[in-house]
Amino acid sequence: MSDPALLATPLLWLTVTLGVFEVFDSLSKRCNRHPLLHPVLWTTPVLIALLLASGTSYETYKAATFPVSFLLGPAVVGLAVPVWRERARIRRLAIPIVLALGAGAVTSIVSAVGVLVLFGAPREILASIAPRATTTPVAMAVAGQLRGVPALAAVIVLFAGVFGAMVATPLLNALGLGDYRARGFALGVAAHGIGTARAFQVDATAGAMASLAMALNAVVTAALLSVVALLV
Amino acid sequence: MRIAEHVSPCFIPVMLRAIFLLLACQLAGEAIHRITSLPLPGAVIGMVLLVGWLALVPRERPTLTVVTGWLTAHLSIMFVPAAVGLIEEGPVLSRYGVGLVTATVASTLLTLIVTALVFRWAFARFVPEGEA
Repeated sequence: MSDPALLATPLLWLTVTLGVFEVFDSLSKRCNRHPLLHPVLWTTPVLIALLLASGTSYETYKAATFPVSFLLGPAVVGLAVPVWRERARIRRLAIPIVLALGAGAVTSIVSAVGVLVLFGAPREILASIAPRATTTPVAMAVAGQLRGVPALAAVIVLFAGVFGAMVATPLLNALGLGDYRARGFALGVAAHGIGTARAFQVDATAGAMASLAMALNAVVTAALLSVVALLV
Repeated sequence: MRIAEHVSPCFIPVMLRAIFLLLACQLAGEAIHRITSLPLPGAVIGMVLLVGWLALVPRERPTLTVVTGWLTAHLSIMFVPAAVGLIEEGPVLSRYGVGLVTATVASTLLTLIVTALVFRWAFARFVPEGEA
């Protein structure tokens, strides 16, 4: 630690981030990907503790880990691939997909924002929760666009995903919904990537529907909120 | 690793092409975002552009599938740096933490229920028997 030049390169925090993540990721893998053991849920507080303990500013950390967060953009673009692969299914199920997606996206935005309005939250917090059903990178980008807080959006989305993945099976069973297409699609709209991962564990059709729903919802929710942003 | 089986030295130029395609779509998306001041994030526009490109030039793209599969599989670690940004949001969390949790729980439950029920209803109503 005596050489300041080494600390000035991205190497240190990049290595630490990958290392800590890897530890929790293998733990999560070993526990059959239980939603509560989602690696980000545990990596984040550990890294925050390390930053605080070492007196490192978030600014420094953010700059150092740029190579990792940069990949979010291409990853979002890549969601086009499952959409394209499922095109036959999209054509066949066009009406249920469009209607369920529209209803789900509006429900998600209105209910999340509505509850927070009751709590008297200011605009930047409403803007951070509004895109909560989209996949994290999209939620962060949309929150930033609406002058919300991307970090807050990331954590809300993460929590929503973990919660959605955990309650989906008992909830949808209670509703008597046996169709894996409807179940998977709902999970993808409500709980994005974490829900999708859960859906794949349960059933391959549910998983395909969930990843499709996640990609489509990224576009629909972002578009809806863009319109809202223009009006408000 | 699943990826390792696919990667042979002659595969790498094709991989670069897939990476180029992703970056080019994102770049075009960002450009459209800035020029038209369309409030959709550039990467989301890029995703729509890529769907368009795949439709326009349909062919098998095993490398694009591998590259995007790799990216999607590692999506979690990519948002760790952003989540760590919470370090600066202590006051917001202590003030609105309960509201945020309540809103997220309510919204996730309602979205699951509404989406699943609408899907089931529309499926029974509009998708002809045998097409399923």
